[in-house]
Amino acid sequence: MSRLLATLVVLTGLLVAVQVDVLAHVRIFGVVVMVVWLWPFVLGLLGAGPLAMVMGAVSGLCFDAHAATTFGLNAAVGVAVAAAALRLERNGVGDIDGAAWWTAPALAAMTGLVAPLLLIVAGAFTLDFSLWRGSLLTTMVVNAVVFALMSRPLLVGTRMITGLAPARR
Amino acid sequence: MALSPSRRRAITLSVLAGVTAVGLYQAGGVGNGIRGLAGGVLRPFSWTVNLVAAPIGHLLAGAVNYSDLVSQNQQLRAQLGKAQLAASVNAGASQTLAALDAVLHLPFIGSTPSVVAQVVSVSPTNFAATVTLSKGADDGLLPGMPVVANGGVVGRIIATTNHGSTVRLVTDANSSLNVTFGKQATTVLVDGRGVNNGLSMSGIPVTAPLTIGQILLSSSLSGSTMPGGLPVAKVTSIAVTPGSSTYAATVSPVADLNHLSFVDVLLWEPST
Repeated sequence: MSRLLATLVVLTGLLVAVQVDVLAHVRIFGVVVMVVWLWPFVLGLLGAGPLAMVMGAVSGLCFDAHAATTFGLNAAVGVAVAAAALRLERNGVGDIDGAAWWTAPALAAMTGLVAPLLLIVAGAFTLDFSLWRGSLLTTMVVNAVVFALMSRPLLVGTRMITGLAPARR
Repeated sequence: MALSPSRRRAITLSVLAGVTAVGLYQAGGVGNGIRGLAGGVLRPFSWTVNLVAAPIGHLLAGAVNYSDLVSQNQQLRAQLGKAQLAASVNAGASQTLAALDAVLHLPFIGSTPSVVAQVVSVSPTNFAATVTLSKGADDGLLPGMPVVANGGVVGRIIATTNHGSTVRLVTDANSSLNVTFGKQATTVLVDGRGVNNGLSMSGIPVTAPLTIGQILLSSSLSGSTMPGGLPVAKVTSIAVTPGSSTYAATVSPVADLNHLSFVDVLLWEPST
């Protein structure tokens, strides 16, 4: 457990660094791909349990430290995404080996579509109603497409490194 | 006397909480403290990623963009020559203006002290248009100070730490600025439309005509958030509704916000 935790902490730190230092500059149609949202989804689908939510919160908070939006918004989205992925995993949906090959990418695409909306809803709770005024639709579509493309390699890679695997039912 | 494990844990946690609280206080506010703490935790990871990613990025960029760099270099040399010529001509004019300024007691932006700062990072999110500068409160920067670069207004400082500051760009959805134009000095509000979406202005009276390409300057009205006379935006399109007493326009920032490397922070505070 402690070895898994250490591995996840290092991987989360590296992913947030890639997010802040690399992906912030490599914009697709002006949109930043939010790997910090895809990461808790991957961990949840791989059956990391509550650790997925913890890592979602940690990666979100580290990202929030660099963003001018309300502190904690991305952490809230990370936790929500992890919780949803955990629920899917517990119901046997999106199993990387058992389900059809397109299931995980399709679920990741849904995550990419919904996560920006979650951020805006979370922002409304902090009385910040300006978030929807950006390129919301482009952000949703770009993240959905990239999440779909990246999900399977990230799932396979994470499983190889951490040894995580969804519980078989 | 040996301490029980639970008591030892409680003492350790209390010490850690105390150190954290002191750290947060020293960092200047809880929000800034948490941000600083998270930034500090992430620094080794950032360093590692940059170590790997930066050379690869430079290699790819160099291979793909070499011809662009050559032509850009030639253009820059030509611009530098023109700028040097203009600087020589302006030197005399500036002296005359300073003399007039002294006589008439007019505010002149050229006399406003400024601090040069480097842009160290751009906003990593899709929901806020900001940049981070290399200088902060220790260099005299305060929230609200205007930032200019690349020939126009870039934005305003919204937060400072001891050694850094965050600038909200004029394109941010939370940004709005008073601008003035025309012979009647009509004043209108220019609003940011979010990352990559430029600016917009509405409610322009039909009696105040605009032309495409016209430069809009910051207003010097009392209570303005900027000193007057700074180039803010350029008109790109005009939308007139027949029968309406006002019209709207789409404008773009004069400053190239996609290529910011160094900026000038004007040590100017809005009057209360």
